[in-house]
Amino acid sequence: MNAYIYDDFLNKSRYRRALNRVEIRLTDLGLNGKIIRLGAIKNVKDAVQAEIKNGIKNIIAVGNNETANKVISAMISNKAYGFFQKDILFSIIPIGNNNSIAASFGIHKEEEACNILLARRIKQIDIGIAGNNIFLNKAELTSDNARININDEYSLELTRKTKVQIINLNDSPSVIYGERVDPYDNKLNLIINNKTPEATFITSDNIKISGSGEIILDESVAIPLPAEIGIIQEKINIIVGKDRSFN
Amino acid sequence: MFSKDNKLEKFKEAETIIGASIKVKGNFNGQGDIVIEGFLEGSLKTEANVFIGEKARVNANVEASEALINGEISGNIKIKKYLAIGKTAKIMGDVQCGEISIERGASITGQILVSSENLKLSENKKNRPEEQA
Repeated sequence: MNAYIYDDFLNKSRYRRALNRVEIRLTDLGLNGKIIRLGAIKNVKDAVQAEIKNGIKNIIAVGNNETANKVISAMISNKAYGFFQKDILFSIIPIGNNNSIAASFGIHKEEEACNILLARRIKQIDIGIAGNNIFLNKAELTSDNARININDEYSLELTRKTKVQIINLNDSPSVIYGERVDPYDNKLNLIINNKTPEATFITSDNIKISGSGEIILDESVAIPLPAEIGIIQEKINIIVGKDRSFN
Repeated sequence: MFSKDNKLEKFKEAETIIGASIKVKGNFNGQGDIVIEGFLEGSLKTEANVFIGEKARVNANVEASEALINGEISGNIKIKKYLAIGKTAKIMGDVQCGEISIERGASITGQILVSSENLKLSENKKNRPEEQA
């Protein structure tokens, strides 16, 4: 049983053709399921909870990073999720811009996503959290005054305006030390600056950032500083493609 | 870890790398290799190896298995095995290690104790089979 969660931006006419292609392909592959349109419902969490209780096996976010973030948040904040955790699979059908999460899963086009759903290649990865919001790929900010505390043991001060990335699952080949980011290790990787010898690389599961500004999660959700960033206990089972960015 | 020409091998594989644009304050305890290219104040301790870059400034006591120092350190240094001090190094503090090499041009203000006991102890630990519970 599949539940497809359509983000509300897909109501725009320019996405109609892409959705039609997806729906036809899913029908051809025998992967039809229930369609839940976020524009028509008020509470994503309630909708996802109801589907989990009904015994849904696959939850597929149709949209972009923000859609994926909303759906995973709804899944893992669900009391029923822990019980069914081993069974429920998550995946993405990317439509529109800002789809780095899907890209890191090895899913680049909507029709390719349907084939990947059929292949059911499953990986279980960590989920990051910043404040009360989860993220799959990364949390990032650019700051010249942020103070970053690691494991309550030591703190880092930026000496000039620099990009700070806290990565769970790397989505870009241009990130320095990106090949060392491991989405299975219960840790996050803090990468500051992107060129040696200025680049900093630290592995931690507890990072506190203070200062002014905001952190952007998965290029889609903004949260204000200060923020505490870590890994949550729950993991998520995802359906991925061969061309994913991790092992 | 260190080759004869004092170049850091496996530089990119260090567990922690502190870049040149970063100031670190506090107690830095690690299990893996640590590279410092920036500024550190507090203490630095690891079970593995430490590399202090040419432009790094460390205001801390340093403890590690092996170390290569090319920058400036104000604090005592305790290295279980091999300590390599490069020509650009400036150390203000006492140095204790198992083996040492110092390049011409390095500056050290403090006592140096090179004791094979340190080396033997760490090698014995390594070779000793683990005790059964």
